[in-house]
Amino acid sequence: MWNFFAFIGEVSFFGLKALVDAFRPPFEWEVFIYEIEEIGWRSLPLILAAGFALGVVLSMHTRGTLVQFGAEALIPTLQSASFFNELGPLVTALLVAGRVGAGIGAGLANMRATEQIDAIESLSVDSFKMLVVTRIVACILILPMLTVFMDFASLAGGFLAEHLASHISLQLYLDRAFKTVEWANFIPPTLKTSVFGFIIGTVSGFFGYTTDEGSEGVQRAATNSVVLSSLLIILVDVILVKAIFFLFPRNAL
Amino acid sequence: MSDPAAVEFQHVFKVFGNRKVLDDVSFKVNAGEALCIMGRSGTGKSVTLKLMIGLLKPDSGRVCIDSEDIAHSSEEDLSRVRRHMGFLFQSAALLDSFTLGDNLALPLRRLDKSKSPSEIKRAVDETLERVGLDLDIAKMPAELSGGMRKRAGLARALVLHPKLLLVDEPSSGLDRITASEIDDLLLKVKKEYRATLVIVTHDVRGARRVGDRIAVLDQGRVIGFGTATELDKSDHEVVRRLVSES
Repeated sequence: MWNFFAFIGEVSFFGLKALVDAFRPPFEWEVFIYEIEEIGWRSLPLILAAGFALGVVLSMHTRGTLVQFGAEALIPTLQSASFFNELGPLVTALLVAGRVGAGIGAGLANMRATEQIDAIESLSVDSFKMLVVTRIVACILILPMLTVFMDFASLAGGFLAEHLASHISLQLYLDRAFKTVEWANFIPPTLKTSVFGFIIGTVSGFFGYTTDEGSEGVQRAATNSVVLSSLLIILVDVILVKAIFFLFPRNAL
Repeated sequence: MSDPAAVEFQHVFKVFGNRKVLDDVSFKVNAGEALCIMGRSGTGKSVTLKLMIGLLKPDSGRVCIDSEDIAHSSEEDLSRVRRHMGFLFQSAALLDSFTLGDNLALPLRRLDKSKSPSEIKRAVDETLERVGLDLDIAKMPAELSGGMRKRAGLARALVLHPKLLLVDEPSSGLDRITASEIDDLLLKVKKEYRATLVIVTHDVRGARRVGDRIAVLDQGRVIGFGTATELDKSDHEVVRRLVSES
């Protein structure tokens, strides 16, 4: 039990140190831009494809139920509410945890095993700032943007499914989808993914950067990064949803 | 008064967990000399190199580079000392996400802020030409063979024209011909740059060829120090066996 708390303390300190270092010059712009591309741009196809497919599936599932009550007009509303409030942020974070978290964990562990981190340090470059801080900040900034893409890809998927089933026009679908959406439904849930980004960057950065187990550590870092990031995202989501309901009571209605 | 030593270890101790890796190690490397450090696996050879460049700190004792104790110096002072050092890692340690050219440009950008981008490019081109990789400047490390990676790692270590070059296992994982080519490069560097070399190696042939003197480490202690011919006559059996070519 003591080990568990010591571990949580270590990871928390690691993440807080990264946040403090993010505001301390010199800034690693070149590496940061590379990470934005690596984490954001390269995740985009996965996010768009997953969002579109989930939109289709959710639309098909809800249609079956709502038709029984003559409420199929609510399908676009339900679709946008589900994705903007919860599914978009959560699924985006879990997908990024799988793709990017494993990549960060394995990548840093491999750099440790092949002495690349020592090589950076031997040039008097702060390897933590160069390799960890850039990745964490990139995750924090990229997650909300990817979430927006996920939300709109899901609406596109939902529209396609509805159009094929009921020949609904795009105009009408969008009117219904956005009828009940307010900024308070969209902005806080989207921005909460920055916290998920922080979790993914910190946890995977911690496992990758601190490993000292050679090539065996690479696999372990990748697995641990994905498992712990995903678990923490789901647990922290409960707290964040509660916080959003507290700050924006209309969202809870 | 004699010239100050390029590298001097004074009663250095280093412990990892409950394992004593270096146990009261003292030796000097003269400027312009090539010292090869030999010993069985796990006797602290690579740790010795990492202490020299400040990647590790000793638990006690002094590690002096050009008379400056880097074990107790600030990051700024360490950075200034490193400006004159190069390190060839065992695995070459080229950054995977950088091209070969960017790998070489990194030390120039970080440790020599006076150079303009065009000067950096020229320095990178010249250094790559020196090690025979001038046509591979845009390649990623994954596209290079083992020997090429080693030469690229050497090029990165040389790009700042170091006065002190630290080399960890230059021949590991290489065939005898490629290893000999790397030794040729090290000899060329020693002559042209008038650099001091400290080389950790298991390759007796290379050590006798490149090294002016050889230090033998065993169980964290220096058990032999001298020229290859002197060590051939050592009373210590481990020393004789390690430096023997047969």
